[in-house]
Amino acid sequence: MSGNNLPPFAEGIFTGDGTLVELVGSRCPLCGAQHFPARTHCPDDMAETEAVSLGGSGTLYSATVIRTKPPFGLPAPYAVGYVDLDAHPLRIFMLLDPAHTEDFRIGMPLALKSGALGVGLNGEPCIRPYFTPTLKD
Amino acid sequence: MVAILGVGTTRFTQKIERTIVSLGVEAARLALSDAGLAPTRIEGAFVANALGGMLFGDTTIGQTLLRDVGLRRLPIVNVENACTSGSSALWLAWNAVSAGQMEAALVLGVERMCVPSLGLINSGRTEIDTLLGLVTPASFALRAQRHMHEFGTTREQMAAVVEKSRRHGALNPNALFQRAETIADVLAGPSVADPLTRSECCPIADGASAIVIGSDRLARELGAGVRIDSVVLASGGYENPADLARWDTDTETAAAAYARAGIGPEDLDLVECHDAFSIAEILHCEALGLCAPGEGGPLAASGATSLGGRIPVNVSGGLISRGHPVAATGVAQIAEIAAHLRGTAGARQVEGAKVGLAQCMGGDLAGDTKSCTVAVLSR
Repeated sequence: MSGNNLPPFAEGIFTGDGTLVELVGSRCPLCGAQHFPARTHCPDDMAETEAVSLGGSGTLYSATVIRTKPPFGLPAPYAVGYVDLDAHPLRIFMLLDPAHTEDFRIGMPLALKSGALGVGLNGEPCIRPYFTPTLKD
Repeated sequence: MVAILGVGTTRFTQKIERTIVSLGVEAARLALSDAGLAPTRIEGAFVANALGGMLFGDTTIGQTLLRDVGLRRLPIVNVENACTSGSSALWLAWNAVSAGQMEAALVLGVERMCVPSLGLINSGRTEIDTLLGLVTPASFALRAQRHMHEFGTTREQMAAVVEKSRRHGALNPNALFQRAETIADVLAGPSVADPLTRSECCPIADGASAIVIGSDRLARELGAGVRIDSVVLASGGYENPADLARWDTDTETAAAAYARAGIGPEDLDLVECHDAFSIAEILHCEALGLCAPGEGGPLAASGATSLGGRIPVNVSGGLISRGHPVAATGVAQIAEIAAHLRGTAGARQVEGAKVGLAQCMGGDLAGDTKSCTVAVLSR
């Protein structure tokens, strides 16, 4: 999927493009808690957070294929899941690769990508991140 | 102690062309008439409606519709709390009566949502998860997949929740769906979000439900015998990582409601729970302690949750067969339990019911619910 000149679906969620994509989170300098999506302040300490990369790899915790009329111009059907990030103890909701909709299984290793996928709040085409099965060597 | 003085629920349907006001007025009149209380003796009202502002631009409808039943010059609060809008209105009213602020209060939940513009319910249009394609059926499909993975729960066990729900709905003249459906029929339907088929997702509906609650003194005057032993309202914990196969917020809210009522799950005669999806009833049965964690699938398949079983669950038909007019649901659950405790539930009566529990959940945030309510009623 190309579309490097399109805007991201939301600001401050991920960096990079194509197959070199990392999620952006926040870290509290006092308690060390990490959050995704990033927060300006720690909900427990009220301290201003710092931005932290959450990496781009994880393991599939649960997945489903949605077969009703999709929102935001997403493909029909499309897959979503919860992913346990490898580098940080966070479980996050994310889109799964539309090229592998029927292939996702709990426990699979995944890598983050991004590409043109659906439209944004105002109907404009945009870039979304999604996890894809990690290619075997 | 706070008592239930009267209840009233409209037919839940997808076919009528009625305004929110007309639905709400019907339920309020039914409850007032059932209580045998003049409108002038109601000292406060809590009116739940979740979608009127979004779908019709209708706001503060409580005052609009209660004017038509003679409720004027009193505190009226409009309540929105997703699927727990109605039960949150009860929580507010129960607190007001418990505190002696009012002798009698009206709780009303009303929803009109069967319009082409509705679309899929999500949890806030600008939330990041929503923008990444999270729709409500997917939240529960992801729980179902994890439950199947960890506990071996089967699609047949989930479909058994629907088969039972349809049998119960057929006994409830107010239910949207009143026809039988076999497990095979449930599984043969189109998938909404794997593994949940269309019949495993609760249908939208229009409808309203109202209850009148009041002080001990008023209950004695009117001869009303159903008590509210506890009502607990809690927001989510939003722990990360969220455990999608065990629902801590659900379990903790239930534990608080049991503790305040001084009872345990073994004391219950019937349960109404928020079966928005087949897997939801299984998760709630576990959280309420009706079975061990992970055993909700076998419980559903065993018949124990059917009318006549060990602990009947959703004998009204629940959300799956009664239908789910969002803000009416939490009030209708209470009206249902009260009817059984009074022995007026007709063909679906749980014989000899003395203690009942209503559980409701609303909204979705960070793999948790935004709102959970559990109420215990007894006679």
